[in-house]
Amino acid sequence: MLNKTLYCREMKRNVKLLVLFGMIISMYVYIIISMYDPKMMEMMDNFAKLMPELMAAMGMTTDTANLMAFMISYLYGFILLIFPMVFSILRGHGLVAAYVDKGSMASLLAAPVKRRTIILTQMAALISGIVILVVYSTVLEYACAGVLFPGELEGQKLLLLNAGLLCLQLFIGSVCFLASTIFSDSKYSIGFGAGIPALMYVIQMLANVGGAAEKAKYFSFFTLYAPDKIVNGESGGISGIVILLVGAVILYAASAVIFEKRDLAI
Amino acid sequence: MADGKKIIEVEHLTRDYGGGRGVFDVSFQVAAGEVFGFLGPNGAGKTTTIRHLMGFLKAKEGGCRINGLDCFRDREKVQQMLGYLPGEISFFDDMTGIEFLDFVSGYRKDKGESRRKELMDMFDLNPHGKIKKMSKGMKQKVGIVAAFMHDPQILILDEPTSGLDPLMQNRFIELVEAEREKGKTILMSSHMFEEVERTCHRIGIIRAGKLVAMDQVEALREQYMTPYTVTLESEEMAKAFAKDFQGVCQGRSVTVSAKRSLEEVFMQYYGGEEHAE
Repeated sequence: MLNKTLYCREMKRNVKLLVLFGMIISMYVYIIISMYDPKMMEMMDNFAKLMPELMAAMGMTTDTANLMAFMISYLYGFILLIFPMVFSILRGHGLVAAYVDKGSMASLLAAPVKRRTIILTQMAALISGIVILVVYSTVLEYACAGVLFPGELEGQKLLLLNAGLLCLQLFIGSVCFLASTIFSDSKYSIGFGAGIPALMYVIQMLANVGGAAEKAKYFSFFTLYAPDKIVNGESGGISGIVILLVGAVILYAASAVIFEKRDLAI
Repeated sequence: MADGKKIIEVEHLTRDYGGGRGVFDVSFQVAAGEVFGFLGPNGAGKTTTIRHLMGFLKAKEGGCRINGLDCFRDREKVQQMLGYLPGEISFFDDMTGIEFLDFVSGYRKDKGESRRKELMDMFDLNPHGKIKKMSKGMKQKVGIVAAFMHDPQILILDEPTSGLDPLMQNRFIELVEAEREKGKTILMSSHMFEEVERTCHRIGIIRAGKLVAMDQVEALREQYMTPYTVTLESEEMAKAFAKDFQGVCQGRSVTVSAKRSLEEVFMQYYGGEEHAE
């Protein structure tokens, strides 16, 4: 199924980015959780009332009464969405289209290794990276909250919330990966692989502002990941992440089929 | 040499990239143990044909088979027997030469004796630098080692000596001759007649996507060389002249061969039309 030598190489290439993003996420998660202070929340709420659009655009809602809601507001609107997404964009492109564009894919194809094995290995490397980032974030959040505010965070809800985050990130990864397998030209691979998720995120920011722009949420897949609903056990929460997961499976499968059949001018 | 069994078969292969680019109705066969030279100017369709043989591209019309197997459908079985040197070398820049060769062996799951050491010595390859920093010739050497080290029965070499200095070009020709002795089937493309004439049994000339000539190398060489007979004043002078110009001395007359310029040979096949890029 997978080629071990190739997988090891790609995981080695993942390491640099994983360490970098891991460090950024560590810093933010620690700082934000340590900032949790019910008194300061009043101030932030006032701030949000003064500039509701700006705060809402960044996914920071006014309801920050408990630690979980506070984390959803300040971590799940930007940091934990963006950094794994950038990882997917960079690696999604690097795993397939970059090799095709540069011609080094020839070294992979000129061997008795099935194209299916190649593409599944590259896919596994991307998915491994995303899983590592999300699992690391989860452990870190749990540890930080446990040390700084013992008993404040419900572990089960955190798991559910991050399972959803994983589905969202896997879906973003599948979009990047599909773009990378369809296009041999870096220009288009990056254009679509980075463009679509970035555009969706911008639409999500617009929709968050509310008012007439709220309808925009129907045009962004980020809407399917609704941390508030997941934590509060609302119906839309779980079905949203199931849709994301199914979508991811479909797009990854499509990438594999396309890569097996397509012409590679290398 | 050829025992008649066709190893590489290209039949009516057509791929139109538009604007006259591509390959059109190309057919040829390479028999077991034969070395076939695939000659043509840049952009003539050599690499496109090779990409079909390698299973990178799916034939739109016609097809190609290696050892009876379809090059696209059965590509991983075909690859088992194949050694490939790409025309444009692009390996993983982040690796050193030795890391890349290790990677290729591991990736191919090659077992048993590898000829890597022998080949690295033969080409004076120091593979410890990053591939990114290597010169064109050095990368070419890494490519040659990677193509030959698993001792494949069939070799597909796309412009194999580009970037090599004359000494290394000679080493390469020696390597091909040795492989030929071992009965390997080899297809090598080139835009230089000199490169293929020493090693190949048969040559096909491709131009603007069409195979315009296919001949035994001797037949082509005859057209390529023009003999002149020079008569000198004395036999001593004739001997000296023959020695200087590698001619054949017969009394006072010396027969020397002059090479016609490559353009002339090409022009003959290209019918005097403009050089297609």
